[in-house]
Amino acid sequence: MTLNLCVLTPNRIVWDSEVKEIILSTNSGQIGVLPNHAPIATAVDIGILRIRFNDQWLTMALMGGFARIGNNEITILVNDAEKSSDIDPQEAQQTLEIAEANLRKAESKRQTIEANLALRRARTRVEVINAIS
Amino acid sequence: MSCSNLPVCRDTSSLSFGSFLNPFRPPHNATPNNPSRSSSVTPIHCGLRELRERIDSVKNTQKITEAMKLVAAAKVRRAQEAVVNGRPFSETLVEVLYNINEQLQNEDIDVPLIKVRPVKKVALVVVTGDRGLCGGFNNNIIKKAEARIAELKTLGLDYTIISVGKKGNAYFLRRPYIPVDRFLEGGSLPTAKEAQTIADDVFSLFVSEEVDKVELLYTKFVSLVKSDPVIHTLLPLSPRGEICDVNGVCVDAAEDEFFRLTTKEGKLTVERDVVRTETASFSPILQFEQDPVQILDALLPLYLNSQILRALQESLASELASRMSAMSNATDNAMELKKNLSIVYNRQRQAKITGEILEIVAGADALV
Repeated sequence: MTLNLCVLTPNRIVWDSEVKEIILSTNSGQIGVLPNHAPIATAVDIGILRIRFNDQWLTMALMGGFARIGNNEITILVNDAEKSSDIDPQEAQQTLEIAEANLRKAESKRQTIEANLALRRARTRVEVINAIS
Repeated sequence: MSCSNLPVCRDTSSLSFGSFLNPFRPPHNATPNNPSRSSSVTPIHCGLRELRERIDSVKNTQKITEAMKLVAAAKVRRAQEAVVNGRPFSETLVEVLYNINEQLQNEDIDVPLIKVRPVKKVALVVVTGDRGLCGGFNNNIIKKAEARIAELKTLGLDYTIISVGKKGNAYFLRRPYIPVDRFLEGGSLPTAKEAQTIADDVFSLFVSEEVDKVELLYTKFVSLVKSDPVIHTLLPLSPRGEICDVNGVCVDAAEDEFFRLTTKEGKLTVERDVVRTETASFSPILQFEQDPVQILDALLPLYLNSQILRALQESLASELASRMSAMSNATDNAMELKKNLSIVYNRQRQAKITGEILEIVAGADALV
């Protein structure tokens, strides 16, 4: 049995092909999906998506969204997705540092909300690069 | 590209460049009213050399406007591609939202983004273009924003502006009495990143209860020659996946609309397709990993984003279309002006030759 993964962002289709297995960070923790998984719908957190493709693991940063699994078809809708190979490590690290500084500086409730979101995105991008595959 | 680098005719007493450049600005001049203009043209009093210079400069202007028109046409096509690329996403999103909605019909849900609060302060997201020379495009949307501000003032509501696009930024910077929350720049092609920036801003404003309503002002793309500035209520989102304009008219999100540029008899035309997305029902055994409310919480920001992205894309398409028609008019005007100038030039040249011949003949007569 094969498993089809489709990662969609508002701009483009990031991934659309057969995979062996994926590990997805959902709002209630990570779940692994193998072929013939029960149909579920889940919210996807800002986090890492691991894909086993041709017997090697690939990682991808997902910026929050939604996933639907059923009938050996996985559809992931996210605001933005970046493959680990497309991220510049230095730039990601810098963004993380800026985000951390911004959170410390944040005063109002609104600034805190914004800074927290930015920090989580930046952290995910760094984690994706450093993830041991 | 500005017109200041063109050779400017120094003689402005008659038929100045000002009158030629005029059709760039007021939108009403977009309709061909050449007959009335050519009749109002004062006779051209110029030496031969000035005339020649002026013909040359008009020729240059015509080339530039023609090129701008072609560039805009090519970009419209790119803008259309971007819309098409985003379709799989929006289709799936609408489908999922619709289904979850059905499941949540009878539940009492509490999601921050759909909470309707008594409105005290409204945020207006004004989407303008980055460049000028596109007819009344930027003016129209700014006027719409001003009208809305006046409306809010009479209602006694507070407001703040989020300005997107260089033209809007310049306008609001010149008017410090209008409270602006943030200036943003649209890129050459709107992507999810730009939409995300706006969405983040709007989201934090709304969730922190600084504003109670967010409205999006953008130019809706109707056709290559028609675009309307419209107001959309962005937040609070209605849980049905419906978007309402200010008058409360609801647009069903399942009705996906996009425009398509086609060529008809060698001319560019635009078709607007309305696609009714088939909302296939979920398999009944589908489980929700989390609470349906949590899933809705994850979906609505996505929906918000795709709404903003759509608005940005439409706005860009309208800008390009309106630049295309403005430049097409400018090219026509330049051609007309060039023709008139050439006639005057030829007539003067002829008169000069005739005068010279007369002088020679008269001189020869005197000798005999």
